[in-house]
Amino acid sequence: MDYSEVDKVRRSSTPLQLDVVESFMGGRLSRREFITRGSIIGLSMASMTAIIAACSSSASPSPSAAGSAPASAAPTAAGSAPAASASAPAVTGGTIKVASQKPVSVDPVAMQDLGGYGITAQCFEFLCTLDPNGKDIAPGLALSWTPNADGTVWTFKLRTGVTWQKDGSPFTADDVVATMERLVAAGNSGLKGVLEKGGAVATDPNTVTFTLAGGNGNFPYLVSVFNAQTLITPKDYVAGTTLDKDPNGTGAWKLATYNAQTGATFTRNDAWWGGKTPLDGTEWIFFDATGPMVTAYQGQQVDAIVQFDVLSGQSLLTDPNFNLIATEAALHRQIWMRCDTGQFAKKEVRQALAYTFDRPALIQQLFQGKAQLGNDHVIWQGYPYFDPSVPQRAQDIDKAKSLLAAAGVSNLTATLHCGQLLEIPDLATLLKSQASQAGITLNVAVESLTTFYGAQWCPDKPADPPCSGAAELGIVDYGHRATPDVYLNAALKTKGIWNSSQYSSPAFDQAFKDFQTAVGVDAQKAACTKIETILNDDTPIGLPYFYNYLAGTSKSFNGVYSSALGQMVFSAASKVA
Amino acid sequence: MARFISRRLLLALITLWLLATIVFVIANVLPNDVGRTILGPFAPQESVDALNKRLGTDQPLIVQYVNAMKSVITFDYGDSYVTGQPVLPTLAAAIGRSAKLAGLALLITIPLAIIAGLYAARRRDRPSDRAIVLLGVTSSSIPEFVTGTILVVVVGVQLKLLPVLATPPPNADIPTQIRYLLMPATAMAIVYFGYIARMTRSGTIEVLQSDYARTATMKGLTTSQTMRRHVLRNALIPTVAVIAVQIGYLFGGIIAVEKIFNYNGMGQTMLFAAQQKDIPMLTAGAIVIGIVYMLATLAADMTIAWMNPRIRLEAER
Repeated sequence: MDYSEVDKVRRSSTPLQLDVVESFMGGRLSRREFITRGSIIGLSMASMTAIIAACSSSASPSPSAAGSAPASAAPTAAGSAPAASASAPAVTGGTIKVASQKPVSVDPVAMQDLGGYGITAQCFEFLCTLDPNGKDIAPGLALSWTPNADGTVWTFKLRTGVTWQKDGSPFTADDVVATMERLVAAGNSGLKGVLEKGGAVATDPNTVTFTLAGGNGNFPYLVSVFNAQTLITPKDYVAGTTLDKDPNGTGAWKLATYNAQTGATFTRNDAWWGGKTPLDGTEWIFFDATGPMVTAYQGQQVDAIVQFDVLSGQSLLTDPNFNLIATEAALHRQIWMRCDTGQFAKKEVRQALAYTFDRPALIQQLFQGKAQLGNDHVIWQGYPYFDPSVPQRAQDIDKAKSLLAAAGVSNLTATLHCGQLLEIPDLATLLKSQASQAGITLNVAVESLTTFYGAQWCPDKPADPPCSGAAELGIVDYGHRATPDVYLNAALKTKGIWNSSQYSSPAFDQAFKDFQTAVGVDAQKAACTKIETILNDDTPIGLPYFYNYLAGTSKSFNGVYSSALGQMVFSAASKVA
Repeated sequence: MARFISRRLLLALITLWLLATIVFVIANVLPNDVGRTILGPFAPQESVDALNKRLGTDQPLIVQYVNAMKSVITFDYGDSYVTGQPVLPTLAAAIGRSAKLAGLALLITIPLAIIAGLYAARRRDRPSDRAIVLLGVTSSSIPEFVTGTILVVVVGVQLKLLPVLATPPPNADIPTQIRYLLMPATAMAIVYFGYIARMTRSGTIEVLQSDYARTATMKGLTTSQTMRRHVLRNALIPTVAVIAVQIGYLFGGIIAVEKIFNYNGMGQTMLFAAQQKDIPMLTAGAIVIGIVYMLATLAADMTIAWMNPRIRLEAER
């Protein structure tokens, strides 16, 4: 090991950064996890490369390689655009046609749908942008970020030479501070309880200091592409203004036309800090469903699809001319079981139902293998603090029967409520079939999403505790989150606003608190081990899988990449010659 | 005729008021905190309250009802709760798109169906009549979404003859627009061909059996003279009534066809508004569709009155 290089990094690192370096060198983080964690807590790519190189030259056992760092994982260098994929010769010019969900709202502060996330992120930018690998964060409007020792204060150095599209005025720290104030006032779900009013301060025109409500090791994620509303808007931007009313961002694309019903067009922003984009523009076509998107691609009327599901897009999975972007993500379904009342109040009954799940079969039948096993807790394998040592629950019909017998339950019959969304009705049918093997009768009730959310999952009344009017059993969908805080806080914490299982466990609440305040890798992993163990044992929810986010483009284009939240990046995209 | 039209218009206004009232009642029966719906579950209650105040959704129902009726009169529905876009331009664009699609579908269907119906009636019980009747029954029993899907797969994806999306590029010329709309319009025309052709056939047969048609033939008029002067005017009265109802239906949007061809007409716009609880858009959309229905019915009544003076005179009595 080249200690001189390692020591250089050690000397220049903050305690939090040092913790990550030591965790990697000690083999407690894989190379992949090291890059992810390192980029979150502001380690420069040069430092991470030096550490990895030093460890690679060591005779000691190498860090567990859960996957080598992708070549594209390097955070974008200041002042340069991400390099386009060099898989095929490219030409400059042209337009890409993009099929996207119709946005519900394009108000950067209040939007809540993937369609809105995708289109606003073409014009506006984040402090921490999406790395071309689609999973990590990279420098965006912030060039670097550094935490203090306990993760309560984060200092962001901003990119210089960035201008606003409308009048060419410079982007400054004041814009960031004003954006954060708007987000705090709007109750942004990621920043709530983390950043309070006045917490963001412009130290100088190119530096912002965030003083948090408590230590938080994941803060850069909360001001990144993974907290979709944190797009930086100008200082004088008024909350409630939509993209089409004031398309004044700093991004690579300028909004040219917008029709909320049909689509939008963007042209190149010649003043973009990242340089000249290879494409002249992008054309967005809005859809209400994924089926027509797939047909439009097959009919050569679109070149890219922002998101599709396996069931609608089966033909794309085998299309040799389609460049599939399958991003492993924390997207999942929760099968909630009421813990406070009804037939699932006993832990053994909930466990029994979970033991009937044939998870590999579900993944194969519903996703053609494009998903990962779930273990009845929300800590996804892709999180750096996931602990794989908690035993994976597998189908065990005998155990399910014995648990039911131990609980004194026979002929268990329940209604499984779900909404008409993607594969969920099929999942319900498969679960019904699997549960019947243990003598559990599930009657599947598929309802419109509005009825399902309003009447079964989380009815408005009674309001205290939230969701206490929920049905005793149902399936609800959860989108991707870069950290599990929202799942833990909203769906599982006592009196959480989406806690339809009415789960209340002091042990879990404490473990979640430990996780939120943990800033070092070891502390976060330790808290997650507790969380995984408690949830797997208590089983307030069944969680059979985490499925991949599917997007893609025609092979006539390269350099396109995507997050699992609907943001497709075209700044480096080009037509293949 | 003026009295006839004014009576019809008065009835239309009463119907419009009833429609607006029913829509208001239905919209307000749904338990819904509009501010919360727009701002999301994490927004502070004070922000939700402020928005409800700004939108007027915190006011007593009777005040909201008066405001709703004012909106009907002034046709000012403000902005969409969900997208923030002005309601009327959005609806105007959607009704424009629906008008183009419905217009093309009717342009294909009406001449073909009337010619087929007349032809079949003239050759009653012959093989050609039976073939047209069978074709009509078959085409009207296949739903639009089936014919639409088959057309997309065969004509759009396999043969690549026509675009699979119905929305033409911005500023497209008329031939291009027709090219984009041809497949969905054909899917709709196939269904309505059957209705209109059978209605025309039965109306024509009835008239051909009447005494005056027989007299016209016996007094020496040629077949085409008899058809033009005596048969068509009377035979097409029920057909005109059916077409009027179909116009309203088509303008209201054929959601399945719009979905398959990703066409943002009234159907998709209204469905989206309903899913998002966008009450201003939903209310204004229902009123607009109601007006289209009334105008279509009025036009049909006037056409029928023009075709048959007895109806006009009865109505004026």
